[in-house]
Amino acid sequence: MSYIFVSCTADNVAAMASTGYEAARRLEAGNPKGGGGSRTAHGHGHGRTAHNMSSSSLRKKSDLSLLSKVRCGLLRTILTNLQEIFLGTKLFILFPAVPLAIAANYLHFGRAWLFALSLLGLTPLAERVSFLTEQIAYYTGPTVGGLLNATCGNATELIIALFALHRGKIEVVKCSLVGSILSNLLLVLGSSLFLGGIANLHKEQSFDRKQADVNTGLLLLGALCHILLLAFDHAVSSGEQAADVAPRLWLSRACSIVMLLAYVAYLFFQLKTHRQLYESEEEEDDDNDDAVAQDEAVIGFPSALAWLLGMTAVIAILSEYVVATIEAASDSWGISVSFISIILLPIVGNAAEHAGAIIFAFKNKLDITLGVSLGSATQISMFVVPLSVIVAWIMGIKMDLDLELLETGSLIMAILITAFTLQDGTSHYLKGLVPLLCYLAIGACFFVSKSPANQINDVNAGVLTT
Amino acid sequence: MASRGYEAARIMEAGNLKGGGGGLGKEVHHGHGRTAHNMSSSSLRKKSDLSLVSKVRCSPLRALLANLQEIFLGTKLFVLFPAVPLAIVANYYHFGRAWLFALSLLGLTPLAERVSFLTEQIAFYTGPTVGGLLNATCGNATELIIALFALHQGKIEVVKCSLVGSVLSNLLLVLGSSLFLGGLANLHKEQLYDRKQADVNTGLLLLGALCHILLLMFRYAVNTGEQVVDAAPTLALSRACSMIMLLAYVAYLFFQLKTHRQLFESQEEDGDDDDDVVSEDEPVIGFASALLWLVGMTAVIALLSEYVVGTIEAASDSWGISVSFISIILLPIVGNAAEHAGAIIFAFKNKLDITLGVSLGSATQISMFVVPLSVIVAWIMGIKMDLDLKLLETSSLIMAILVIAFTLQDGTSHYLKGLVPLLCYLAIGACFFVFDSQTGEYNSFYPLFLLHNLASLHQKMHVDSDLNGITDQNNGIDAGGLTTTAAVTKAY
Repeated sequence: MSYIFVSCTADNVAAMASTGYEAARRLEAGNPKGGGGSRTAHGHGHGRTAHNMSSSSLRKKSDLSLLSKVRCGLLRTILTNLQEIFLGTKLFILFPAVPLAIAANYLHFGRAWLFALSLLGLTPLAERVSFLTEQIAYYTGPTVGGLLNATCGNATELIIALFALHRGKIEVVKCSLVGSILSNLLLVLGSSLFLGGIANLHKEQSFDRKQADVNTGLLLLGALCHILLLAFDHAVSSGEQAADVAPRLWLSRACSIVMLLAYVAYLFFQLKTHRQLYESEEEEDDDNDDAVAQDEAVIGFPSALAWLLGMTAVIAILSEYVVATIEAASDSWGISVSFISIILLPIVGNAAEHAGAIIFAFKNKLDITLGVSLGSATQISMFVVPLSVIVAWIMGIKMDLDLELLETGSLIMAILITAFTLQDGTSHYLKGLVPLLCYLAIGACFFVSKSPANQINDVNAGVLTT
Repeated sequence: MASRGYEAARIMEAGNLKGGGGGLGKEVHHGHGRTAHNMSSSSLRKKSDLSLVSKVRCSPLRALLANLQEIFLGTKLFVLFPAVPLAIVANYYHFGRAWLFALSLLGLTPLAERVSFLTEQIAFYTGPTVGGLLNATCGNATELIIALFALHQGKIEVVKCSLVGSVLSNLLLVLGSSLFLGGLANLHKEQLYDRKQADVNTGLLLLGALCHILLLMFRYAVNTGEQVVDAAPTLALSRACSMIMLLAYVAYLFFQLKTHRQLFESQEEDGDDDDDVVSEDEPVIGFASALLWLVGMTAVIALLSEYVVGTIEAASDSWGISVSFISIILLPIVGNAAEHAGAIIFAFKNKLDITLGVSLGSATQISMFVVPLSVIVAWIMGIKMDLDLKLLETSSLIMAILVIAFTLQDGTSHYLKGLVPLLCYLAIGACFFVFDSQTGEYNSFYPLFLLHNLASLHQKMHVDSDLNGITDQNNGIDAGGLTTTAAVTKAY
């Protein structure tokens, strides 16, 4: 197996030879074209999951030629650090949205503008958090790194959910989480398989179905819990019981604990006992220009940690803006809150992962694509959703697992379609087009059924029942 | 003991097993219709030590004692046998009815296992096909007899709930725990099974699920909310679907016993475990004797089943859990205990084909044979039983079948594949614990709600001290969960 390396030109190599990063990178550049095999163990020892690999496709090589001209050593280090953090991704053009959003809050721009800017700002931040998690994983070893990745992989969804809970907007939480699962399963996976299929029209596209099976099984467990809650609601015969939420809450909390148990077992399975199923494919050394994968960390551990905390704080701020202004944006744009939560929020939130998945599908590395999309869906379904219920329990908010009929039905069908699509271990573009069209249909359905005229105190229902 | 017939056969067996597992031994084994079910139950047998009996000088007495020892002490579950006479005593001496229920349940477990053993013995004499048929019919004798008695007493909901619970327990609990424990025990080995067998069973289960869904949707489509649905079309549809399901079952038997036998040949053990599995190539009791014992044990099973069905409401009131929870969760767990243990043991030995044969085969049998047979028998008895399970049971059933179908579709296994169905069963169990399917209302398990509202607990205590008197009075009345639930909801 070989690695992607930064393609440094000869003069750059000479100029950069003095700094530590350069030395490491030159070492990398010297080795790959020859000895792939022995480095395998080394590479895998850094817990490079599919998620990390996918995000790495959006990295850019940092051109440090300018910086090397700065004479002060400390300043150069800081600037290098900053350049690595901020300019190390192709999404850096979206970074200005972050300060603009903060400015919009204090200068009282239109609230719809605040919403849009916050959403845009969240995208590069989510990608950077993933990068920082990967850097930290170099220092902490594969297991903790894998755990960190598993937890922070969907940090944005988690933080948005917690803020919405805090404000009592339970429907927004449920809708955004369901929308995230649907988006990962149908949109990300579908578009990746579709575009990858067209790009590799005459090649064989295969992937390891064992990994897909594990994820599908867990998603079915989550779907079962939602169906039980839904049927529970409908099965109660007398009308007076409808207001009695205690048994429904108890069942939701029991099911949440079951789901978290399953997630812990899944982590144990993935990181300890059946690691070999999940070793990510290393890319061939043919695409130096659009992916950067280093075997060494490029920033120090305390630096990475500090940046991670800082970025998470900024994500928190932007998430708070998003959650607070969602109704205003809904009114201003004329679409319902549910539609924004189910369709718009997840699309923007998943944009970085989405791009990465498509890129790897183009390269016919479907294991990574599946690892990203299915893994994200499993994480949200088995970890973020039950965690929200448990956190709501602690906060004294009555959140349950009961999604509406439409969401539950869409979720079941999405899981079934994905399961059937992936069950034979091969792929072609029609296998991607079908989930994509399903997503379009579901989007159309939510667009029409959840129009503002039909909105039956969607958002306020959360506040009323508390 | 070389002179005794049984011993001679067994020594020959012991000699054969260790040596010729391949050629001749296999042919002989297969010729006796040893299904996965028989193999699994055989894991609970013990070899009988006949040294004591051989000292008895009178020959017929010796034969009789040997016979008795084989029947009663030939299983590891013999410790539960005293429950049988205790249950009969409890009935006549009027112990608490909940005690009668518990003892009858405990007594049913070893009896079910012995019936399986006797069926296998008879199969030696009748040949593989009839033996297979016998096994297919008597394999779930307990569930069948309980269902028929409950029908007879008009407790249609108990019938439906216990049969659905049996299917769920086989699919999720037995299979899940076997795959989970087997996966943990064989962590670094490859665990394979033949997926063709699993596919056949899954297909049939889906057919059964389709029939239940059709009935459910039929009822919803017809019922506009203001008028009560007319029972006649639902009944007619149920009976038609039952005949279709029985047709499918007959075809399945033909497939399994005649045309595609080779798919279902059970894996033979490699002669390495004489101490915990006894598999004989010769029957150990005579044909007449086996038949007599079979009839006798079935009669005792019928007796205990009648006690179970008769006392289920009393047990429910006395233990504070709903009848539907007992029918769906408790009854099947106890009823399947012997099969369950066998399936886990074979999963430990990495013989997953046998595990699947037991659990999936049982589920298919109940879904495709016992359920439609109950409908037909009810038709003959003039009782209006249909295939319409309630929404919660039907959706649990569908999801269980889907989860299992996806789990088993690739022919390999690991512990996570067992953990997921197991957790599904926990979720379903939690759901039925809270919800009384029979009355359609929440379960009056008051402590649950207390756990829930710790903050307002103190306030509630004052309100409830007035209501507790009413609640206790109502418990004596056999009114299901209705009145007690009303008292609970008043507290809110």
